[in-house]
Amino acid sequence: MKTARRIPLLKKMLGQLGIEEDRLRLDWVSASEADRFARVVNDMTEQIRRLGPFSRTGGGNNG
Amino acid sequence: MAKPKVALYWIAGCGGCDVAVLDTNEKILDIANLVDIVFWPIALDYKYHHVEAMPDGSIDLALINGAVRNTEHKKMVELLRAKSKVVVAFGSCAYLGGIPGLGNFVSNADILKRVYLEIPSNANPEGTLPQTHVKVPEGELELPALTDSVLTLAQVIKVEYFLPGCPPAPDAIMKLVELWATGKLPPPGAVVASDKSLCDECDRVKENKKITKVYRSHQIVPDRKKCLLEQGLLCCGPATRGGCGQKCINANMPCRGCFGPPPGVVDQGAKLVSAIASIYQGNTPADIARMLDEIVDPAGTFYRFGLANSLLHKTRVPASQGGSTK
Amino acid sequence: MKKISIDPITRLEGHGKIEIFLDDAGEVQNTYLQIPELRGFEKFCEGRPVEELPRIVPRICGV
Repeated sequence: MKTARRIPLLKKMLGQLGIEEDRLRLDWVSASEADRFARVVNDMTEQIRRLGPFSRTGGGNNG
Repeated sequence: MAKPKVALYWIAGCGGCDVAVLDTNEKILDIANLVDIVFWPIALDYKYHHVEAMPDGSIDLALINGAVRNTEHKKMVELLRAKSKVVVAFGSCAYLGGIPGLGNFVSNADILKRVYLEIPSNANPEGTLPQTHVKVPEGELELPALTDSVLTLAQVIKVEYFLPGCPPAPDAIMKLVELWATGKLPPPGAVVASDKSLCDECDRVKENKKITKVYRSHQIVPDRKKCLLEQGLLCCGPATRGGCGQKCINANMPCRGCFGPPPGVVDQGAKLVSAIASIYQGNTPADIARMLDEIVDPAGTFYRFGLANSLLHKTRVPASQGGSTK
Repeated sequence: MKKISIDPITRLEGHGKIEIFLDDAGEVQNTYLQIPELRGFEKFCEGRPVEELPRIVPRICGV
């Protein structure tokens, strides 16, 4: 389905812009999988912590 | 009654927008009769000190083309802003960053290194780089510095109107001037072009937006009547504002987005990722891998004119590699 | 030493300024032409597909 294709393409594009692919994660968790949800979120939080912050200068839309 | 005063200025552009004004041909004479052009480096010999001497707000209309790439550009557009009642971001560079905006993919240090030290056609044995201040026997010379990133005009000064196009068509220019001269411009903040997407306005036949392969534009000669996207070319039409007259499409080439995002789209590149990935058929890992292989430069294609205007604005560097987090 | 600045040079494509240094007799001692512009096409074209270059490099000069 569309998301499964959009996310890899987005990752490729973000990679070109210096954003490591590990900063974006796609997972499928149902409403009844509370433990799995907690694990996925904690995993991802740790991953981001390890990657550290990146430059936030500039940006903005206009017109 | 004194004629209204008009200024045209260029920053990091190519002169194409100024040539487009000249391409209004005999209509330029009508414009020249209605207004006093008080500053226009491509055509007239006014200097910066002439602009500095003008009273604030004395220029009725300033048409500024080009992106902000160095500190002189920043200074000049701030000066023109103070001296002008209405400022138009003229052309895709001023509106979106344009092609010079691709400089936001790379660092200033890398640009300087490549241009002055590495390029084979340069003879620079001493490895001299441009300096902002240089002492010479007679005195001192100055040059502007590159800004940290390429900026759109509205990211530096307040802008009333945006005229997209690379360059804007002479007809569109005449339309803008006419609206201004007759007091019929829309409320400030408007992009003076169509409110639809190029896709909506394109006259090619659209049957079935589903593709199984993306082609690079040299790999096929597309059918002239059918939608280019449906033939597997990356056409930015779905997320590009219309009003350009589909000139590229008529040349049998896919749109590269020079009119910027259509109303309602915040980030042109993200929207194009969404659109292209949506119409691509296939869900297996092999299909997805093939799609990624076929789309060789997503950022450079989907942000070809609009990188500076995008949400991310430029390539980001992790703090651990020297990127600042301010 | 007196200095005359011609800024900007006009009626051509591009940005330029000329600094003319005069000696005490009012004669030209030296003149410098400076080009205060750089966009970096040489660098940002790297990584772009080769068939796209004919759509990018004409923007070096629109005249």
